[in-house]
Amino acid sequence: MVDNFNKEDRFSRISILFSFVVLAVGGLFGIIQLLNRTPYFPKFIDASTYYLVLTGHGVLLAIAWTAFFIMGVGVILVTRETGLGVNSFLLNLSLILSLIGTLMAAAAILSGNATVLYTFYAPLYAHPIFYIGAALLIFGTWIYAVAIFQVYLRWRKLNPGKGAPLATLGVVTTLIIWLEATPILVIDVLKNFIPMSIYKMPVDALEARTLFWYFGHPLVYFWILPAIAFWYYGLPRLLGTKLFSVKMAKVAYILFILVSTPVGLHHQLVDPGASDIAKFIHVIFTYVVASPSLLTAFNVTATLIKAGRERGGKGLFGWIVKLPWDNPIFAAIGFSIILFGMGGISGIINASYVLNYVVHNTIWIVGHFHLTVATAATLTFMGASYLIIPMLFNKNIKSVYLARLQPYLWFIGMFIFSLAYHIGGVFGAPRRTYDVLYGGLIPKEWIYTLGIGAVGGIVFWVSGVIFIIQMLLTLSRGTRLSKQIDIKFTPMDYEVSRPSILDRLGIWIIIAALLIFIGYSIPLYDLYTRGLAPYPPISPFGGKV
Amino acid sequence: MAEGKIFTEKVWIIMIISTLIAFTVILGVLAEAISYTGPSAVCPVKYVELNEKIKPGVKQLSLGVYEVTIIGRQWAWTPNNITLKNPRKIIFKVASEDVLHGFEIAGTNVNVMVIPGYVAVITWTPPKDMEGTYIILCNEYCGIGHQSMYGTLTIVRG
Repeated sequence: MVDNFNKEDRFSRISILFSFVVLAVGGLFGIIQLLNRTPYFPKFIDASTYYLVLTGHGVLLAIAWTAFFIMGVGVILVTRETGLGVNSFLLNLSLILSLIGTLMAAAAILSGNATVLYTFYAPLYAHPIFYIGAALLIFGTWIYAVAIFQVYLRWRKLNPGKGAPLATLGVVTTLIIWLEATPILVIDVLKNFIPMSIYKMPVDALEARTLFWYFGHPLVYFWILPAIAFWYYGLPRLLGTKLFSVKMAKVAYILFILVSTPVGLHHQLVDPGASDIAKFIHVIFTYVVASPSLLTAFNVTATLIKAGRERGGKGLFGWIVKLPWDNPIFAAIGFSIILFGMGGISGIINASYVLNYVVHNTIWIVGHFHLTVATAATLTFMGASYLIIPMLFNKNIKSVYLARLQPYLWFIGMFIFSLAYHIGGVFGAPRRTYDVLYGGLIPKEWIYTLGIGAVGGIVFWVSGVIFIIQMLLTLSRGTRLSKQIDIKFTPMDYEVSRPSILDRLGIWIIIAALLIFIGYSIPLYDLYTRGLAPYPPISPFGGKV
Repeated sequence: MAEGKIFTEKVWIIMIISTLIAFTVILGVLAEAISYTGPSAVCPVKYVELNEKIKPGVKQLSLGVYEVTIIGRQWAWTPNNITLKNPRKIIFKVASEDVLHGFEIAGTNVNVMVIPGYVAVITWTPPKDMEGTYIILCNEYCGIGHQSMYGTLTIVRG
């Protein structure tokens, strides 16, 4: 079975190995940045290098690491679960485009020609290669989406009496959300950024920013959903039990499809010129989009309780100790779920606009997304790697002890880091800055929280280094697998019984489009009817371009 | 078992829905109570008319009520150091001449995006006992001199 998907597995191997390279570089940028922005730590880089590193950290980890890992793991999940192959021409084409695009954007950043951070707010100027690279990466992912949709539709056709399989449905949901979000970003890039960059065309900053955040929030579900799909699919198989509720999992997927997009204005709650009513609608939708996360928290916890009890756990908390915490795959997922819960809570606080203006653009936000994308997604992907890498490369994980330690270090480090950064944010410490001393005016709370945060950051960075070394050792020195990995990949009967309205994605996509219309018609109408205010492009190094 | 499961599911779903409704209501009521409407804006202000429309400086409108107009540019606020005596209410008008900036008075609720072409207008009622010097900083990346874009707000009582 495992050897039937040679071409698909080659795609996954390249994609995942590239994502590890990106993770290593992005992580290195992370530690440079962390130490440099800690008060009274000796500055070892200048400001322009700092912002270059910060741009690299954001673009490489938030976009490239996640996208390439997700594409790789998506193909594995879909092929193994459905038993069907993926069109290899489309896969290869998508891989080539995405790689070229990423390398172009990376070259622009590393050569100091795109020091605009990962949000590249207009009218900050970057070299055209940066925007063209970003657009190519997105085109690549679209082709990938087509290839996966083909498989999904074929499976549905071949299995008329069955509901959609869970992991494949998760990957398909992820890609639907991606396709809801990215066309607007591409329009933004083609209409605003590329002309700004090539012809020095003036750009309306609020328009560019609104279109960016139309994309920017669904992006987070693009990171999180594959992780959640892996929990739904992987946890029961890992623990030899059943998922608590398949129906609830599908409801969660659909809620993500419905409301992941008309929420972007919660990134713009303190923007002048964006309508208050639209902001309130987006806040309500944000609360609604918190519900599938809460459903997921319930569903996976209930599954864990069930598994723990089946293993003889007694009483209210006895199930916890019966779970296989010495298994790095499980530990990584378990810790991801715990920190995702914390991140969810701080996310609801961000969306609550009376609270948001205390924490907007402070290190609170940095603490928040390190719990979500940098833990719920990243740590889950690391756990998944302990399963997938042996399968893809036919090698045993080298040094099981290091592998066991790694998720614990990540959890402890991230817990300290994010807690300290959340608290520092409440005291107003700004994010995205080279220096927080402000000529000695720095409040002492910032010194403490950033200092403690740095300790946590070092701990989870070490965990990341261990992960990368681990993977290098496994690939170079790992012994051959003695037996096939003992997991039933194809859907279990209970997972695909009875198709229902939850499996009819077309209906939900139409409703999603309607909700996006409700959410975005007011702000865009306001923006375009009152007239735009284009301003000329400005160099990040100062002055007009 | 199956019935118990469905019951647990239902309880959880009801909890989620009621929590989120409660959040929405509390948020709406809170916003009403502190009359928080988010920043308003003078917009659009065309690039060429910025300097005639926006004159930076501090004006006292009536006793304790100030209007403070500030322009942000790479990499300074103008005016940079502001001293206010017994302020009850401050109306900030903040404009950008070039790129996005973020206007934050650290340790207060003053935190607003400054978007070129869209002059942010916010009203702030500082706590009655608040005095001393606070950092006014830029909290949105605006180029490599971003960290040096700061000033002070000094509140004097008496």
